[in-house]
This record gives sequence, structure tokens and C-alpha cells, in this order.
Amino acid sequence: MHLEATNRTPEVSISESSLEMKGECYPEDISAFSEPILESLEEKLEPCDSFSVSLELRYFNSSSAKFFFDFFEVLEQAAEDGKSISIEWRYRSSDNSMKEAGEDFEEDMEKADYKLVEI
Amino acid sequence: MDSHDFHKLLLSRGTFFCYSGLLSEEVLTAISSIVREQVTDIDHDEDLTTRVFGIFIEQAQNIIRYSEERLAEGGIGTVAIGHTNEGFVVEAINPMNSDNVLTLKENLNELQQMQPKDLRKAYKQRLREGPPEGSKGAGLGFIDIARKSSKFEFDFVESPELLFVLKAWIVP
Repeated sequence: MHLEATNRTPEVSISESSLEMKGECYPEDISAFSEPILESLEEKLEPCDSFSVSLELRYFNSSSAKFFFDFFEVLEQAAEDGKSISIEWRYRSSDNSMKEAGEDFEEDMEKADYKLVEI
Repeated sequence: MDSHDFHKLLLSRGTFFCYSGLLSEEVLTAISSIVREQVTDIDHDEDLTTRVFGIFIEQAQNIIRYSEERLAEGGIGTVAIGHTNEGFVVEAINPMNSDNVLTLKENLNELQQMQPKDLRKAYKQRLREGPPEGSKGAGLGFIDIARKSSKFEFDFVESPELLFVLKAWIVP
């Protein structure tokens, strides 16, 4: 699955063993954006032993925060089921908001390997 | 007020962006990249400009979802951004239903009293618990505005229809 970035949505690539997301996220219709991604993620996670995720966001709005919360919950659940899940939350060194957001999501991750990466 | 006075008023407030009328997600798509460009052109501190932009998006989406005056897929309202020596101001005005005044007032008063770490906690708690009844989004918009702003003020004005005014300051 590959989605090109738009003004309001990030670039998203999902392969058999990884997911990458990069850009800004404040979609016109959050469900229309998030549902296919969550569906595809769950489908890829099912057969795999290990899965890696890289997120590099510059901005997301409060409606998208709920999507990211659900997204991380799916990953944490997979890790609890015994899969090896690694997540990189990449933020620019000047970007305090995105650093804080990354830390907020980190708090709920126990089994998944979650790293904050300054770029 | 004639046009010249109107223009002078905008200048005196440092207003560089003002939109008044129907706000829908389509309209927001059309204007958000212009706002993004203008804000980053004024200040090169990306953390600051992303906060200004984020507050603008939340304010605009509040009007889209909650303005009492509806048209097609959106709501009627005004959103303006100004810049002075002190920093940025994002303000929004929209008609509202008087039944919601008390709840809104309580909610915003509470957020105004909260320290950054409490706002952060409230944001996370809301994320876990899901949106409150009557919310058309994640129920996080005002908490997000409180977190991203340096301070904010609100008011309810009879003009004669009831207007909700929310003003957020973002200073370096």
C-alpha cells in the first residue's frame, strides 16, 4: 500500500514487514484516511514475526491524535502476542511539540520497542 | 465603519490573515496552505509557527463542526491571525447555541487554570477515554489549543445572536 502525501495527509508506505509515514496529518475526513491504514496494518501484522514502523510527522491535529492512539494500540497488542515490534518516532531537534507527542505515545508502549529519534 | 477604517483596524491589529463566511473542510484545504506559508514567512522558528498553525486548524475545525449557523457541509464564522511585536494571535468567532454556554464556560475555565503538565495529562486521559458526548471529533480541540498557546481568553457576546469568541496568544 502506498499513499502519496497531500497538503493534509502524510506519505504512507506499508510493506510485508514495515510501515513508514512522513509528513503532516490533518485529513478532511479522518475515518476515510485512517481505516484503510489500520486495516492494512492488521493484515500485515497477522502473519509476520517482526514488523518495523517509522513515523516522521511535522504536525498532526487533535482528530488525528485518536488515530495514532489506536494505531499504537494495535502495535502494542501485536507485541504482547509475542511479535517483535520496533517503532521509531522521528522528530526534528527544533520541534518540541512533536517531541512531546512522541513521549506521550511512548508511555503506553511496554512490549513494543519504541524509540524517539532526534533528526 | 467605511472600508478605510476597516483596513486601518486590520493593520492596527497586525492582522495578516482573516477569513469570514462559510468554513468547510473543503474551504480549509484551500486556505490552510496559504496560512502555513504566511506564518512560516513571518517567523522562522518552526516550533512556534507549527503551534500557530495547529491552533488555527483547531479553531477552524471548531467553526466547521460547532457553529450554530450551518450551511451545506460547514459552519459560518470568522477566523483571523495577527502578528505584533509580542507574537501571534489566533482568534475565532462563531454563532453558538445558548444551551451550551454553561458547559463550555466550565470546561474552558478549568483549562485556563491548568499548568502545562496537567494539560498534558488531560490530553492523554481524553485520548484513552474517547470523545465526550456531543463531540464531533476527538474532544481534544480545546485542550490542544490550551497546550499550544501561551494563554487564551474566551467570551460570549450578544450581537444580537449569541457569539462565541476564542482568542489564543502564541509568543516565543
